[in-house]
Order: sequence, then structure tokens, then C-alpha cells
Amino acid sequence: MKKSRNIADIGVPIFFIFLLLVLWELIVSWGKIPEWILPGPLQIMKTFGETLPRMLEHARSTMLECLLGFAAAIILAFIIAVVMDELPLVKKALYPLLITSQTVPIVSVAPLFIIWFGYGILPKILVVILVCFFPVVISLLGGLAAVDRDYLELFRSMGASRMAIFRMVKLPLSLPAFFSGLKISASYSVMGAVIGEWLGAKEGIGYYLTLSQRSYMVDRVFAAILAITILSLLIFAVIIAVERLVIPWHRLNEQHQ
Amino acid sequence: MPEIIVDGISKTLGGLLTLGKINIQANNQEFIGILGPSGCGKSTLFNIISGLLKPDAGRVLIDGKDFTGITGRVSYMHQKDLLLPSCSILDNTSIPLVLKGIPKQRARAMAAEHFEQFGLTGFKNYYPAQLSGGMRQRAALLRTYLFSSDIMLLDEPFASLDAITRRNMHIWLLDVLRELHPTILFITHDVEEALFLCGRVYVLSECPSEVRLEVEVPICRSESSRTITDPRYSQLRDEIMTALTI
Repeated sequence: MKKSRNIADIGVPIFFIFLLLVLWELIVSWGKIPEWILPGPLQIMKTFGETLPRMLEHARSTMLECLLGFAAAIILAFIIAVVMDELPLVKKALYPLLITSQTVPIVSVAPLFIIWFGYGILPKILVVILVCFFPVVISLLGGLAAVDRDYLELFRSMGASRMAIFRMVKLPLSLPAFFSGLKISASYSVMGAVIGEWLGAKEGIGYYLTLSQRSYMVDRVFAAILAITILSLLIFAVIIAVERLVIPWHRLNEQHQ
Repeated sequence: MPEIIVDGISKTLGGLLTLGKINIQANNQEFIGILGPSGCGKSTLFNIISGLLKPDAGRVLIDGKDFTGITGRVSYMHQKDLLLPSCSILDNTSIPLVLKGIPKQRARAMAAEHFEQFGLTGFKNYYPAQLSGGMRQRAALLRTYLFSSDIMLLDEPFASLDAITRRNMHIWLLDVLRELHPTILFITHDVEEALFLCGRVYVLSECPSEVRLEVEVPICRSESSRTITDPRYSQLRDEIMTALTI
């Protein structure tokens, strides 16, 4: 029963995607749409295979920026969320600023980083940090604030110190929220690096993307998009694997609710 | 000789006089019930006795010493089991020992000794989510017991359980108490539950709450009894109901 449902869970979306691809291929070939406007999936796959070695080289620097930025964002977000939660005054001061900062479009800030820090790796890392930081902070803050006050009172009545309460109660109970923030950030992180490269770089998938676009090699653009998607999913999958290792009890809780 | 005296406690919460002057006494090894309508400040009273809240007036005396506003003397069990979903049952129950500074391994061993008595045999490494409601409450009770074995405040510990499980828990609890002999204050709004378990019952009035009635419960439960058959029972219940203005 459960197994057949699992197969359906995986099979239905795969079948649907396959259907869309077939439709796309048919429209392109019947409509005689020129390749430099919209190539079909088969052509894209072919280009993807041909350009894979070159893209892998570019992907290396993109992934480096992305992982460094992501890691920095997580550390920064964790520290700030914990400080904000422990010190209400800091939370009052920072929270509106955090929310407002999200209304500033990244694309408008990123060129500034290039003016300030040049064409190297640093401005890209900064863009990734900007993109990834917010979801992690907000979800961890939410998780920390959502911890049932009765837990805190119980532990206080048992004479637990503030540090012990944080370590034993607040931190573990807010980890599920933290991980949902991580999952959102993970899917944004590659995009952040690509945006950073877009605006000025000497290597990276984003650079490759601009290059292909300017020479009207639309099939390469699509191949690069495919590569970006795969990289994002990879990071996402790693986060899910880590989540299962770190909070194995969380899945149990969800099953029993 | 653990003995609690709540001496003239009053408390105003959010501008509302919640507890009028409350006097309650629990002698050594007594099982005291505290009955009252919901919202009458029973939990506030427990927060004060456990030291989490400071009263506006009055004192909490335990063994003659003033424990007003001091946490860590009595153990407090909530209606919710409040077991950490992130820890196994064994780790959950050994938390009070760890907080007292006992090394983790020893704390685990000490908690494990009570697993049979608390009906948790074989569930040491299970997570709370894998246990039934009754087992979770027993685990929470074990945690409470391991924190302070002589004075326990139980705040509607069985209120979230279904009737069948609750009655099983009553019988089990009375059984266990024959071996443990703690002094217990037990909040409930179930008259039948209070009469089944307690030796003496205080009935509180609505806000601002005061002790309206104090009754001895003379009913002797035979070890095998699952219901109360004593003829004095209905008279006593009526008396309490009147005090509760039901």
C-alpha cells in the first residue's frame, strides 16, 4: 500500500514533466521555430552533453562562491537570530530593518559590490550571503519564538540555567524551522552566485550564461539553466540529508500528527 | 517530613485579583486535591508554590522554611507531558538529574531503575512521539518524581487523556504511591477524579479565588476497587458540587 503510493508520488510528476517536454519538442518541430529563438529539449540535451566539460569548469567557481556564501550566511544568520531572541531590545531594533532590507532588489545592490570590490570572488559571495541570509534568520527566529512557553517554565522550575534551557530546549525545538529556512536558502544560493557573476565576472556559470546569450546561442543558455537547476537541487538534497541526520525525531513527529 | 503550608497567598495578575487570600496545608505523605472552576487561578497558585511567580502577599512554607519565590524545591507536572521531542524517553526522564549536575551516564542509569515501576519497560530508546498518551504522561510523572521525590505538584496531569486511559492511570498511580509516599498537591476540575484519588480536597471559588470548602475524603478504596461504591460518596459529591455552584 505504502510502496505503491511512493511509486505514484515519484511517477506522476516525472510523467507530467515528460509530457511537457514532448509537447515542447512537438511545438518546436511542427512550428518550425528557429533554433536561435527556441531550441527543442532534444537539441538542448545534445548541447548540454557537448558543453558539459566547459560548464563543469565554470560550475566549479560558481559552486565555490555559492558554498562559501551559503556557509557564511548560515553562521551569520544563526548568530543574529540567537542574539535577537535572547535580547528583546536587539530584536526590536533589528527586526524592521531586516524586513525592509528585503524590499531592496538584489540586482540593484549587486553592481555596487562590483564597484567596491572589483570583479573577484568577494562580490559574488556577498550577493549569495544577501540572498541566503534572510530566510534562515526569519525561520530560526520564528522557531525560537514558537517554543512552547510551558517548556521554558518547566525547565526554569527545575532550576535550569539560561544556557541549559537554550541548549536543551530552545535550540533543538527550533531546529526544524531552521532547516526549513535552510531549504529555501539552498535553492536560492546558486541563483545568488549566478546573479553576482552576471554583472561582471571572468568565470562561472553566470558568466557563461551572459556569454551565450550575447552570441544568441539559445541552446547553450538553456543548457546553462539546466546546469543551474541541477546544482541547486544538489545543494537542496544535501540539506535534506543533513536534516535527516541531525533531527531524525522530526520525521517521527510529523508522521504521528 | 515534607509539609507544605500556603499561608495567606494573594496575587493580582493583569489588574485582576486572581488569588484572594489562600490558605492550604499539606501534611507529610498526604494526597491533596485542589478543585476549582477553570480560570480560577489554580495554575497561578502552583506557579507560586513552585517559586516561578512571587505572590503579592503571603508565604510558602516547606518544612517550616520560607520558599516564597524560590524554584527548585518542589517538582511540578503540567497537563501537557512537555517531553522534549528531540530526546529519547530515557534522556527525557533523566533531565532533572542532569540539571542537578549528575553525569549523564549515571543519570540515565538512575532513571532506568524506575522504568518498570512507571510502566515504561522496553521503551527507553523510543522518542515521545512513538508512545501513547498514557505512557507519555507516566514518563512525565517519572521525570517529575526524579526531580523532587517528596513533594510533587500535579496540574491536571490526566486531563488530556481519554476516560479509559485516565482510569487506568488513576489505579496505576494509587498503586505506585503505596511504594513512593510523596506529598502531592493535585489540581483537577473533575470531582470524581478528586474523590477517587485524594485524601483531602480543597474547593476554590471563582476569581478572586478563595478556599470555599475543605473536606476530608473518608472513602477507603480497596486495592482491587475500580469504582467508588461507598454510600457517603454521593453526599460528599453533592457537597462539593454545591461549593462549586454547579
